[in-house]
Amino acid sequence: MATLKTLLYIFVYPGLVFLFVYSTFCEWFDRKVYARLQNRMGPTHTGRWGILQPVADFIKLLAKEDIVPERADKTLFTLIPVFGIAAVATAMMLLPVWHYDLAQPSANSFSGDIIVLLYILTLPTLVFFLAAWSSTSYFSTIGGARVLTMLFGYEVPLFLTVLSPAIMAGSWRLAEIASFFQHKPLLLLPNIIGFIVSVICLQAKLERTPFDIPHAETEIVGGTFTEYSGKKLALFRLMTDIEMVAGSGLIATVFLGGFPGGVILGFIYFVIKTLFIIFLLSLIRALTSRIRIDQVINFSWKYLAPLAVLQLLITIVLKGFVR
Amino acid sequence: MRVAAFLPEILRHLFKKPATVDYPFEKLEVPKDFRGTPFLHPELCIVCRACVRDCPAEAIDILTVSEGDKRFKMVIHNDRCIHCAQCVESCPTTPKALEMDHLFEIAAFSRWDLKKEWDYVKAQVKPKAAAGTPPAEAKST
Amino acid sequence: MKFTVPIGPQHPALKEPISLRMTLEGEVIRDVDIRLGYNHRGLEKLAEEKTWLQNIYLTERICGICSHSHSTCYTQGVEKLMDVEPPKRGIYLRFLVAELERVHSHLLWLGVAGHEAGFDTFFMYTWRDREVVMDILEMVSGNRVHYAINTLGGVRRDIDDLQKKKILDSLGLLRRRTEYYLKIGANEPSFVARIAGVGRLSKEDALALCAVGPTARASDIPQDVRKDDPYGMYAEVPFEVATATTCDVLGRVVVRVKELMQSYNIIEFLLKNLPDGPVAVRAPRRAKPNEVVSRYEAPRGENIHYIKSNGTDKPERLKVRAPTLANYPATVVMLKNGFIADIPLIFAAIDPCICCAERAVTLVDGRSGQEKTVLMSELRRQAQERWKKVPPKKDAAWPL
Repeated sequence: MATLKTLLYIFVYPGLVFLFVYSTFCEWFDRKVYARLQNRMGPTHTGRWGILQPVADFIKLLAKEDIVPERADKTLFTLIPVFGIAAVATAMMLLPVWHYDLAQPSANSFSGDIIVLLYILTLPTLVFFLAAWSSTSYFSTIGGARVLTMLFGYEVPLFLTVLSPAIMAGSWRLAEIASFFQHKPLLLLPNIIGFIVSVICLQAKLERTPFDIPHAETEIVGGTFTEYSGKKLALFRLMTDIEMVAGSGLIATVFLGGFPGGVILGFIYFVIKTLFIIFLLSLIRALTSRIRIDQVINFSWKYLAPLAVLQLLITIVLKGFVR
Repeated sequence: MRVAAFLPEILRHLFKKPATVDYPFEKLEVPKDFRGTPFLHPELCIVCRACVRDCPAEAIDILTVSEGDKRFKMVIHNDRCIHCAQCVESCPTTPKALEMDHLFEIAAFSRWDLKKEWDYVKAQVKPKAAAGTPPAEAKST
Repeated sequence: MKFTVPIGPQHPALKEPISLRMTLEGEVIRDVDIRLGYNHRGLEKLAEEKTWLQNIYLTERICGICSHSHSTCYTQGVEKLMDVEPPKRGIYLRFLVAELERVHSHLLWLGVAGHEAGFDTFFMYTWRDREVVMDILEMVSGNRVHYAINTLGGVRRDIDDLQKKKILDSLGLLRRRTEYYLKIGANEPSFVARIAGVGRLSKEDALALCAVGPTARASDIPQDVRKDDPYGMYAEVPFEVATATTCDVLGRVVVRVKELMQSYNIIEFLLKNLPDGPVAVRAPRRAKPNEVVSRYEAPRGENIHYIKSNGTDKPERLKVRAPTLANYPATVVMLKNGFIADIPLIFAAIDPCICCAERAVTLVDGRSGQEKTVLMSELRRQAQERWKKVPPKKDAAWPL
């Protein structure tokens, strides 16, 4: 019985089938909002309101020819997309949607799981770098170098801002942080700077405008993904979508008070809060243009990192007063 | 330098109707002088061959079917036509024997489907005052 | 360590095929090798086989965006050869369409600059407003591109009062939107960070390398054929030459937006002072033997057509010098010591119309300096002979 339950968790909900359905829905939402902000229509004709468009794109990519470059490292080239999906799917399991018990820690909700989640969410960047490196074409090499350079810019502010509410709640467990803010909702307001900084850092982690320099279409053709086609490209795109859901889930847990209320209500809160954060991400994407890699590092260390430290100081000062 | 200078404008667009025309379910109307494809009024053609000489793309051919009966055949190759309407301008009759219509969705699966033909008898050259009335013996198909 | 990266002939940053071989050191460009010829269509040879009237439509199809420029430059030259003077109303209508084409070309360029910088929202907005201009052009000439409104001796169509009123009404909308784009382009921090200080071309370099059009005007050189050598009715129309002093891509954006505002003023002047009369005069079929050079200010710079006639109804030689060809040497200087990330922006800032610039190539013998023309079959035979002797290399390193 327990094995059946675990298999259900892994494959159906909150496992792979749910991830596929929900992340394609989020991609549709992102594309539709982005199009409406630009006065266009977005996906319209596949399914009602174009909801099935990301699924149609996935199926089309599966049917295309799969080319492996002659000088690429074949084993690494083929296995990298699978590692990526595995990493982000594991990250989703750690989000406290409903399958946790506040009183006792379990395999998917334990003390310190915020650190593990942040670490697992760094793996996709390493996956992008390895994908670029194993492709051995000029454009991929430049893209891979840019991916790692950008990592040095946004990781530190992201970690600092996500850890500030943890300090205020006094725990390293996602479920406990969420429930702390559910009981004291007014304490969410001092975290607003951290919220803004972490949304910008999430945009950088997902490599979307203004931080999409590693796979800038008009410059290096595709960066990391230049040589990928067919099934592997489909898995990479799915991985980016799931990473978007996992990242917004993390920010929603830590800054917006989590997903209380059990199975149905918790799920509804999950959908609403992640869609709100994805709306903010689409807004940033429509608002700005791409900036160069040296400007990204400049911006992160001049503005994002000091703001993150400021948020940390505010949290520490307030913790003294709250007690 | 203002941060997010664009923001009010793009938020306003969330509530506006999209500027896209949902073709092929909605179509725009073309203006009245739009240059579509050329077609012939066979009862007015005097076979001066000015259109054949002036076409930049060699898209009009006039063949003689029978010299004695004055039967001619005009073929307009719409796959070669560049829709410039020079043939309409060069035509010396009043009213003009060639005219441009408003069709723009003329794609076909094979270029041989795009050729149009007219089999007709050459019209008599009338003085300008009586122009417009087709002559009695003209038979057009 | 240096390595060579090919940008093109096929690349998402380029709308047409051209090969720029960049020698890179890290992310900095050290040298650029431009190779042309991928879009050569043999237009100059084809022009010798068609009559003067048919060549109007041929020159129009040299380019899609600046089609009226080539057509008008050619028609002006042939009218000079045939000693035909078009009536005033014809000239006004011809240059009304020319200024409308300048508006549509600059709006297109603003969108393309936004897209190369990653600013897709700007791209979508400018192209949405460009649709207003395309609808006006369709109403006036019958088609959205390739207007075919020129004929030897004037224009082919007339405009009535209803069309005049429609054009004047849409000018108000266009003026508002263009001022808004200037505000955004100069104020959005991420966009300005991409285009300021990028692609510097100093005034001395621009003069020495013969840059033309907005590329030269952004380096503070007030050079504009409409003012230096007025053709048509430009001697009577009040307008200013737009310049900028920053010598970089931001300067070129500012110059083009200023030119947009000047074009709106010119269009309003032309419509309000349109004289009455016929729109065309008859032109003869043949031209006397003579040669003529015709200059025109296209949206991208100075366009030169050289036409030679020998008394028949077909030209003997037509030579086209498109403005983009004059800007290529300046591009090499602009790209040196820049970043890879700036390549699309710098290249797009000269507003490349690569199909305009593909013309006949002469082979010069390196040792003796002698010029000769070679048949294609001869070149093919020489290439096949050479490669028969070389053994095939497996795992060849690029470039060969």
